[in-house]
Amino acid sequence: MMENVIELQHIHKSFKGFEIKDFSINVKKGFVTGFIGGNGAGKSTTIKLIMNLLKQDSGTVSVFGMDYKKHEKEIKERIGFVYDENIFYENLTLKDMKRIIKPAYKNWDDNAFQRYVNEFELPLNKSMKTFSKGMKMKASLAIALAHHAELIIMDEPTAGLDPIFRRELLNILHELMQDEDRTIFFSTHITTDLDRIADYITFVHNGEHIFTKEFYKIEEEYAIVKGTLDLLDRETEQEFISIRKTNTGFEALTADKNRVINIFGDTVIVEKPTLEDIMYYTKKGR
Amino acid sequence: MVNLILKDIIIQKNTIIIYIATIILYLLVEVSPIFLGVLYSVVFIMTAFSTDDKGNANILLNSLPYTRKEVVSSKYMGALIFTSVIIFIIYLGDFFLNGKGEVFLWREILLIIGLVMVTISFILPISYKFKSKHLVMILVGLVGIYLVTITLLIPNLHDILRGFVQNFLALQETQMYFVAILITVILYIGSWLLSIRIYERKAF
Amino acid sequence: MQIIISNSSKEPIYEQIYAQIKKLILTGELQEGQALPSMRQLAKDLEISVITTKRAYEELEKNGFIYSIVGKGSFIAEQNKEMMRERKIKVIEENLLIAIQNAKEMNLSLAELKEMLTLLYTEDA
Repeated sequence: MMENVIELQHIHKSFKGFEIKDFSINVKKGFVTGFIGGNGAGKSTTIKLIMNLLKQDSGTVSVFGMDYKKHEKEIKERIGFVYDENIFYENLTLKDMKRIIKPAYKNWDDNAFQRYVNEFELPLNKSMKTFSKGMKMKASLAIALAHHAELIIMDEPTAGLDPIFRRELLNILHELMQDEDRTIFFSTHITTDLDRIADYITFVHNGEHIFTKEFYKIEEEYAIVKGTLDLLDRETEQEFISIRKTNTGFEALTADKNRVINIFGDTVIVEKPTLEDIMYYTKKGR
Repeated sequence: MVNLILKDIIIQKNTIIIYIATIILYLLVEVSPIFLGVLYSVVFIMTAFSTDDKGNANILLNSLPYTRKEVVSSKYMGALIFTSVIIFIIYLGDFFLNGKGEVFLWREILLIIGLVMVTISFILPISYKFKSKHLVMILVGLVGIYLVTITLLIPNLHDILRGFVQNFLALQETQMYFVAILITVILYIGSWLLSIRIYERKAF
Repeated sequence: MQIIISNSSKEPIYEQIYAQIKKLILTGELQEGQALPSMRQLAKDLEISVITTKRAYEELEKNGFIYSIVGKGSFIAEQNKEMMRERKIKVIEENLLIAIQNAKEMNLSLAELKEMLTLLYTEDA
């Protein structure tokens, strides 16, 4: 029985020069959902809507089955957040930050906090100014875990971090997902980070929700197709989301792998698409 | 919400010493305790406010389990609490430095609290509504108006204000006090509600 | 239970897991009633997403190789012994055919082949 931890339904939100129309997404409980999309696709807006940092013009936002109007505190008690921007008071130490944050949560577990601080090797008595981006990210994570957050929202947590670090984070997330009540919502540009941890991928583009799929389904349905230019004509071009033509041939993305194999047979090479391919060709095709 | 008020103290923990030191300095040169009371209370609250505003603290605070109402209310409740504490510090300071036993009459304490409340009533909603950049411009504008008034229009502004304050303190009629207190409280509550409305609509 | 997956193979990862666990069951390395690691533990060990191991386990269950008890985990199901025996016999036949093919290519006689077989069989015992 798969519950949705987050449900956005028919959200409308307009800004100067950008709009989200009839936007709906669901995030399943107990899994890692990778949230991808180009710059300006609506990723930050979605996260802000989920965190109630922004209010929608119309539509509903529900987290843990509750809405913010009536249950703001209950919802936020159970959410941990790791943001891209710095949210700490620069002149304070991590110890000070704990003093400020701890009383906000009913479920604060000092032992857990200390455990993660030790594991992540974070200094308690140096000012947050001295923390690198990676350390700030780990600090946010330590805080999120110290109050046993069931839902962890991560907005570009690995941006600007070295590959070793990103691998370490992956290990941490794998450990976290041993708890089947925990859900992680992970927005990122670095799509390769998702290959080893994401269960579902939610792809947004230009304020539109393009798809939410199980990771393995993407391989089943989408494919990169490579072939010679003579294979393309007005009809066959319709099979693809978009096509990149060069002097030596074409490369294209299809959302219906089996159909393309039926149509082209052996005359083309069919390959697994990366998430980057999907983002790139979708943008190209619109 | 108590925690939010404590937070405002924690984020200024390094400057509290400076506040106390300069209060003592000013008391030594016999600056008006009433002026000090109002000034430091307002400065304390507004410094906490601008520290929150500058960084992304608003994002942090609104991601924690607090409602927007609580975040705003902590400023208004905090203002009253901090003012009381500062009055107490000034009283102590004056007592030890100038040996005055009863520095503050009740009227003086009420005047300080009242002036702080009136000032905050205006400053806070404006600060919530407008970006810090604009606030600096407004502040610069006000200082400019003040200087122009002093130099060109009303050269003896300070004397007039001093006279006004002394007349006010000499008033015997309780009824006038009652009206003044009522107006101040209504103004404060109105400002409180307005700030909540403004803050609830804000997007971060 | 040892499982190795390849990220670069054309075969989807859940299929690789399915195939390897199925093989372990059929060859008897995994015994009936034995507990499998939880799908989350397996995902962590293999460094893949939980939904992949979930899919693999779902396939195994669908095809009768394992069964799951909510709250307890997944276990190897009783395999049809006749079918397993038949499968194994088929594997032996296939291997023998290969040996025979190779022998014929080298002009090895049936008698020589039988001798080799007896030697190897008794040596092992």
